[in-house]
Amino acid sequence: MSSGPALLTHAEPAMGTVFSFALVPGPLPDADLRSAISAACACLHEADATFSTWDPGSPVSRYRRGEAELAGLPAEVAEVLVDCQAARQASGGWFDPWAMPGGFDPTGLVKGWAVDRALAILRRAGLPAAMINGGGDLAVFGRPGPGQHWRAGIRHPWRADALAGVVEVTAAMATSGSYERGPHLIDPATGEPACRAASATVTGPRLALADALATAVAVGGDGALAAVTAAPGYAAYLIRPDGSETTAGPISFVTG
Amino acid sequence: MKRASWYLTAGAVAGFAGVLALSSRTSPAVPVALKGTSPARAGQQHHGSGSGSSTAGGNSSGGQPAAAGQVQSATGPVTPYGYGELDVRVTISGNRVTNVTVPVLRTAEPYSQQLAAQVIPMLKSEVLAAGSAQINGVSGATYTSQAYATSLQAALDKLHRK
Repeated sequence: MSSGPALLTHAEPAMGTVFSFALVPGPLPDADLRSAISAACACLHEADATFSTWDPGSPVSRYRRGEAELAGLPAEVAEVLVDCQAARQASGGWFDPWAMPGGFDPTGLVKGWAVDRALAILRRAGLPAAMINGGGDLAVFGRPGPGQHWRAGIRHPWRADALAGVVEVTAAMATSGSYERGPHLIDPATGEPACRAASATVTGPRLALADALATAVAVGGDGALAAVTAAPGYAAYLIRPDGSETTAGPISFVTG
Repeated sequence: MKRASWYLTAGAVAGFAGVLALSSRTSPAVPVALKGTSPARAGQQHHGSGSGSSTAGGNSSGGQPAAAGQVQSATGPVTPYGYGELDVRVTISGNRVTNVTVPVLRTAEPYSQQLAAQVIPMLKSEVLAAGSAQINGVSGATYTSQAYATSLQAALDKLHRK
């Protein structure tokens, strides 16, 4: 078994889940490493505070109730709105934060967006490689060891302790499904919970969009796959409710 | 059945080799399994919570590494999987998982039985693939911070923690 250099890990609770860090420290002094991790975690907590739909006083809650104009809110809200618009278009409408029952809800994108940002902080701090897994949606840069790729397992939808596959990840990978938190995925067309996938995984360059597209495929099933392949660099792996599976676009499974 | 699910966690990641590797009830099984070293510890047999059993085709004195080519098999405890109960039997030859079977499968109603019939064959190939793969993370539907505690990702985080 290849071992490679030791990875440093950190687990940070935020946004109602846990963000797992795996870092290649490289030549970075310990103090710099610690401060990079702190800054990345601070970024996650800031995103949590800004975008929590559970907190009635959060900027996004005030925005969705129409109590605040964009100009009076943190710049990140406008940034996420732009990403949400792009994701709605890219998903062919299967991901639509404006069609959610309680008003504008960017939850399906914002965790991926926050991971992208936190990861950029680690990269700027000079770390040679890192993975951040935000409760099942993950992004990476660099390599975990010489000649190695980051590898992520995809959780089996019916078995918390089994993998449906293993994929080499070069940028981002997100998975959606109802098996962890029940029927929370809303079909924008009906406003009702809908899930046409047991598990929907999307890989691609940015986690914000991969996260949104995974939500889209979970809601739309086969009907949302064409949107994923139309987005440059994105691919999907769908496990249908009947247990059958399909892929769309280039997604490289590790076969052992 | 929390403990039983941990046993199966180990097994699933290492092609169920972890079922054999678990002799200690306290040491996390997955880190052992993920390093790909569990077959070397396969001599230590797990006698699970009542329903587990194991047999060895070769010498399997406790704690001794399995010799190359040695064939062993073990059956994990019957474990609830969401729609019923199943039981997994794994066969290891040397360092390789050579077979995974499901001798016990109990489901509550016909739809689950039908579903399971589709899932189990899929599971077998997955489990075998996972056994030889090292992973850095697990992608899945967002877990709550409570569910994280028993997730594969949490086991990975412990594995690398300095």
